[in-house]
Order: sequence, then structure tokens, then C-alpha cells
Amino acid sequence: MEELILKLKQEIIEALNLEDVKPEDIDENASLFGDGLGLDSIDALELIVLMEKNYGIKLSDPNQGKEIFKSVAVMADYISKNRTK
Amino acid sequence: MEQIWITGAGIISSIGIGKEETCRSLLEERSGIGQLKYLKTEHHEFPVGEVKLTDDEMCQRLNIDKSVPMTRTALMGMLALQEAIADAGLKKDDLKNVGIVSGTTVGGMDKSELYYLDFLENDTRNEYIRTHDCGACTEMIADHFGRFAFATTISTACSSAANAIVLGADMIRNGDAECVIVGGSECITKFHLNGFNSLMILDKEHCRPFDATRAGLNLGEGAAFIVLESESHARRRNCKAKAVLAGYANACDAFHQTASSPDGEGAFRSMTAALQMAGIDHTKIDYINAHGTGTPNNDASESSAIRRIWGDVVPRMSSTKSFTGHTTSASGSIETVICLLAIQNGFIPANLNFSTEDAQCIRPVEKTIRNVKLNNVLCNSFGFGGNDTSIVISSPESDFKFAFAGNDVQLPYIYSASQISVQSALTDEWFDSPVAIDEPYRRSVDPDFKTYIPPLEARRMGKILKRAIVTSMSALENSGCEKVDAIVTGTGLGCIENTEFFLDALSRDGEQLLKPTYFMQSTHNTISSLVGIKMKCNGYNITYAHKELSFDSALYDAWLQLRLGMIDSALVGGHDEMTPSYFKLLEKAGYLGQQSELAGETAVSFVIGSKPKDKHLCRFGGIRMMYCPDKEEISRQLHELLDSANIPMDDVSGVLTSMNGNAGHDAYISKLCGNLFSDIPLLRYKHLFGESYTASGLGLYVAATCLSKGRIPDSLYVDANACKSLKPKALLMLNTTDEKCCSLMLVTI
Repeated sequence: MEELILKLKQEIIEALNLEDVKPEDIDENASLFGDGLGLDSIDALELIVLMEKNYGIKLSDPNQGKEIFKSVAVMADYISKNRTK
Repeated sequence: MEQIWITGAGIISSIGIGKEETCRSLLEERSGIGQLKYLKTEHHEFPVGEVKLTDDEMCQRLNIDKSVPMTRTALMGMLALQEAIADAGLKKDDLKNVGIVSGTTVGGMDKSELYYLDFLENDTRNEYIRTHDCGACTEMIADHFGRFAFATTISTACSSAANAIVLGADMIRNGDAECVIVGGSECITKFHLNGFNSLMILDKEHCRPFDATRAGLNLGEGAAFIVLESESHARRRNCKAKAVLAGYANACDAFHQTASSPDGEGAFRSMTAALQMAGIDHTKIDYINAHGTGTPNNDASESSAIRRIWGDVVPRMSSTKSFTGHTTSASGSIETVICLLAIQNGFIPANLNFSTEDAQCIRPVEKTIRNVKLNNVLCNSFGFGGNDTSIVISSPESDFKFAFAGNDVQLPYIYSASQISVQSALTDEWFDSPVAIDEPYRRSVDPDFKTYIPPLEARRMGKILKRAIVTSMSALENSGCEKVDAIVTGTGLGCIENTEFFLDALSRDGEQLLKPTYFMQSTHNTISSLVGIKMKCNGYNITYAHKELSFDSALYDAWLQLRLGMIDSALVGGHDEMTPSYFKLLEKAGYLGQQSELAGETAVSFVIGSKPKDKHLCRFGGIRMMYCPDKEEISRQLHELLDSANIPMDDVSGVLTSMNGNAGHDAYISKLCGNLFSDIPLLRYKHLFGESYTASGLGLYVAATCLSKGRIPDSLYVDANACKSLKPKALLMLNTTDEKCCSLMLVTI
């Protein structure tokens, strides 16, 4: 799981173009949106693309993202249970 | 006060070709939305509202040879314009005194997405490179019918056509024009079908605006134009008003690039201001044609804004997007024509597919209501970036009154200017020590953006957006103003780097897993919206995308708003970026890279205003925009410009031309100037700053810098032996590149 978390952090940084952010700067238990990393609804859409591209997980309703993208740890847990690639 | 009359209209959409068929479909509740048939795409799961004609069938109706490079947006625009011109009884010869303002965002993208790889890899489709941009689309539409007095293009995403109506009306209101044809055109493309899909706002079912179960929009396509004229002009032609344009306004939500604010601040402002201009109480509105896209966000936000004005007693309301689909940039004029038909034929169109009330939304009209008298109708059009426009259309018998107070603006002030270019970033080092450019294209010298924009904020910004933010904030800081009342931007191509990323992925990897960020940033008005959000400016926010007159159009509009007394200050910008592959395409199309032409990038921002402040760079004497003028027309406009600014020709110390190194082009300008100004030295700036669609913005910056420093550097003189002016009093700018678009600008101390 730790490996997945690190990989996921790197992928998030790349997909969202978070210049100057390093994987160790992201607390995997902190909120990705709002007060945490400060992401917004467009980032959520980018994360949906990331999930499908890298893990074969297709989300058809953007509202599903609200739960899944709570934190990197929650995301990693969801991926490990649902990934198709 | 004279009225602005609507004396003609033309429309084409999925529910009909022409007003008659459109009206019948509306009355009979016949939706045009159905399974995809004409666009070639993988996404057959999305219902769309397509115009039921192929491109070839449209060419046939217009007598256009199939071999002429045409785009679907241009063809639909021509069919709508043809009907509007005939409806108003205008003859071909009348058009030389008529302007055209068209709105589009897609432009020629239908062909660009089809031939993108050909553009890059071979020479088989080069003729379609020139049909790509929005301005080219307007010119193709216009040129089919004759020579118009002027032409420009507005690109503010889904409110584009509504803003074209606003500009045309303002020009008439200020006496700058007597008759302007306004509207917009947009075809469905794979590009924006996939773009909206990446934003997850397309419904796989028929759209259900304002319904509790609504799940997004259906794309549509079409075009509509209306003929606006001053009452006296129409009376002289013995032409009656079909309806009257009673009020209109644009405002910016300044909230988010794609989402509307929960309380609909921008929409509240645009509706309030439009009602105020019409001089009617909100209770006098008999019908609201809502923007009503069917997305959860828009319909709730629009309902909130409407409730802020009407409370619980809301006029009858519907979204006709349930018939046509969302015709994006054309929706403003398409829905204005629908409102006109509703007034003329006494009915209220239904909001189709409504079944379940949503507490967050206003309950719309579910069935066509016939035999009603509509005196005043409100039509909403909102676009990305919170670009909100409302229009009040009244029956000729309505008792509305135009209410506005114009002020007598003398020459406005250019308080400040800030630029990032191939010469320098934010400084005027070029003035005394210009950098010689010896390669065919060069990208700008960028500042360290991180010192201006926090990385998190910059994560979705391409260079063009960063430059726009930095130059805008710097111009504002140096202007002595705390804020501006309006933001008006010119950009020939917008964020082409992001557009290219999206197009590239679409062409190479197919229609899946496309990045929403690239799509969102590809709309031309992204620049103006982001600056609006950054400056928290809820005022007028308009973007022009008309080739070499993109910046000039923006400056003209800001000047118009100042003269109308609508604003005291404006931020005016000109922004274009260059990518290596786009440079290659321009070269293939014969635009650049010929002889000694140099391609550059533009990022320039000005704060201009009507009130004197402690300091200013120079004063703005005015601008004249022309379309395909002969030299007599240019001469006439030149003298009118000087007279209206009360500046004698003898005070003009130089003419800053758009000479760009292309021998043929420069010889044309040289000859033209020889006729117009025999002994005024000619100047140039593009050899230092390069050519781009908005390079004239850098020209204005160069002219303003010369006046503020009180001298003209030797590097600008075309003829090194010219008689040099020691203390320039006034400078003229002549901007003409392809002998079609032409403008004259005047600045003075």
C-alpha cells in the first residue's frame, strides 16, 4: 500500500501540474480539496481521468469522486480494491 | 432618445431552417434533439441537436462551389445572415454602410480537427489553416453577401452571440453606426463534444432544464443574426420595427472558470442592469427565455439569481435548449430570435421534458402557451468564466423607455501599460537598447512567474494566462486606480498551446480520456475571465477574436463604453502566444516566415479611463475600424478621426505602421502612407516585437512609451534619414495586414 500511495502522489502531482510540490509534502491522510491541498472540481475531473487511464477504474458520476478523493490514502484504498489494470 | 429597432432576423438550428419552420416547431413542441447523424464521432451515446443538412447541401443552397474551402460554422452563418438581410429589405449596396458583429468560439474547428494531422505532416489541406480562427469565420460569412463597413468577432464562449448584440446596440446608441447586423454561429465539433464530455456535463438522455432529475446538457448547433438599426435609419428606409431592443447588459460572475456562483451574482447583475436600461420594472417582464442548459449547476444558479429579483412571483419561464440543444456561442442570438418569434406570434415556448420539480429551481412552463400578448421579454445567455448577458426585447407597442446617462468624455487617458514580449518582460529596455532578432520566430522573455503567481494558482495556466495575469496586475498597480470597471481583451487565437494539446490527443489517441483542463483553457475568453476572477471585477467582460483587429476591437469597445458613460476605467489587453507547431502552420498558410517576417508573442495590458489622475502615459485620441477599405475611405476616416479629437495633421509626429518585413506588404503600406501623409515620417515596431494577431497592442504600447518619454528612438524609423521629430505631440497608428482588416488609432500627449 505504501508503494501505491507514493506512486499515486507522483501521478497526482504530474496530472494536476503541481509545480514545487513533492510527494513528501502531501499528507496522505489530509484532505485533497478545500483546506488540505486546495484542489477544486476541475482537479476532481482530472483525477477521474487519472483513475481510468492508470488503473482502469471508470467513474461515470462526478459526485462519486467526493468520497473517493477524500485523501490520498482513501484513494489508494479504493484503487487497490477496484483496479482492473 | 432614439430606439434601437430589430428590423430583420434569420435563424437556423435543429428545429428549422428559417423563422417559419422554427416557429412551427416551437408551437408544435417538436424538439430537434436526436441521435447523432452528421458529426463523425465515437460518442453516439449523446443526443444532439444537429442542423439537418450536410455541408454539401448547405453549399448547394448558397450556390457555393464544393471546392471552395468552407467550414460548417461559416455555412450555417451564411444561411442565417441571408434570411436576416432579406427580412430587413437590405440590398447588396446598402451593406457598405452596415457593420457585422458575429460571435463564435469554435470557428473553423470542424475542419481543423479533421485535418490536424495533415496540417502537421503534409500539404494536402493547407487551405483550411486559414479558415481555422474565429475572425476568418466572420469574414467568410460576411464576404458571401458583399462588402460590409466593418466586421468584428466576439468570443466569450456561450454568451458570444448575445455580446455581439450588445456591441452592435452600443455602437448605434453612441452614434458610431446606424445599422449593424449581429449574431453568431456555431457547429458541433468533436472538439467541444469531447470537451464537454471531459467536464462530465453532457446528458445521455434528452436534456431536462430545471428538472430535479436533470443531468447535463445536450449540444446543439446553429446560427442566427438580427438586423439592428436606429429608429431614424429604419424610418428613412420605410422599414418597420419587428421588435425593439429595449435593454441589455453584460456582467461577470468573477467566481470560477466553469461553474456559476450559488447565488448567481453575475446573472443578477446582468438582468438588473438590462431592466434598468429598458427603464421598466421587473414586474413588466412577461416571459424569461432562460439560459437553462440542464446542468445541475447552471439551472440552480440561474434560478437563485431570478429569485433575487422577482422573489416568489416569477414571470413565465422556459429554456428552449430543450428544443435546440445548447447551441453554445450561437445560443444568444438563436434564443433572441426565438423571443422575437414569441412576441410576434403571441406564444410562450414550452420547456420540454420537465416532470419533477426541484426546490432549488424555478418551475418552468411545461406546455406551449398560445394567444398571449408579450410586451417585454428577457433573454439570458451565460458563458464560461461567468460571462453573463441579459437582453430585453420588447414589442413595438411596449411602454419601455431607454434609460441611460451618457457623459461627455473628452480624450480618455492611458494611465499605464505593461508588456511581456520578445524584447523584454515588464521593462522598457528596448527603448534605448533594442535586442536584434535574427531567427524567424522567438518566444517572449518571461519573468519569473513564481514571484507573481503562487504555483497552486498557476497549475492550470499556460504561459499566455500567466503573462496576462502578470501584465494586468502590473498595469493596474501603475495606473493609480484601485480597480477597473471593465475588462476587455483581444486575442486572435487564445490559449493555443492548450488547444493544441487537446487537438493532438484527440487526433492521435482518440476520443477517450481527454484532459478537461486543456479544453477549459481553449476558450478564447479564459484570459479575460481569469483576470476578472483575480481582480474580483464583476463588470463588463468581453473578448474579441478577430484576426489582426482582435486588440483594436477590444480597445474600440473600451473607448465606446467610456464614451457611453457606462464605465470610468477599463483594463484593455492584447494576448497571443506562439507554439512551434503553430508557427509551422502559419508559415504553410503563407502568413509568416516569408522573407524577413518575424513571428512573436504578445502580452500587453493597459488601464485607460476618463478621469484625469496624477500621471498618465498619454491620451487616447480614438480609433477607426474598417473592413476592406479603399484609400479614399481610409483618408475619409483619417480626417474624421483627427477632427473628432481636435488634433491637426501638423501635430502628428509619426505614423507607426504595421510593416512586418514582408516586402509586398510593406510596399503596400508605404504607398498607402505616401498618399495619406506625404511628409510625416513612417515608423515601425514589428521588426523588434514580431508579428502576432494582437501585435497592434504592442504598437500602442510603443506609441504611448514614445509620447510619455517625449522622444522617438531611432530604431523605429523606417527611413534612417527621415526628418526626426524632437518632441512628439501626437502619433497615428495604421494597422492593416491582409488589406482586409484595417484600423487607424490616434494617441496624443
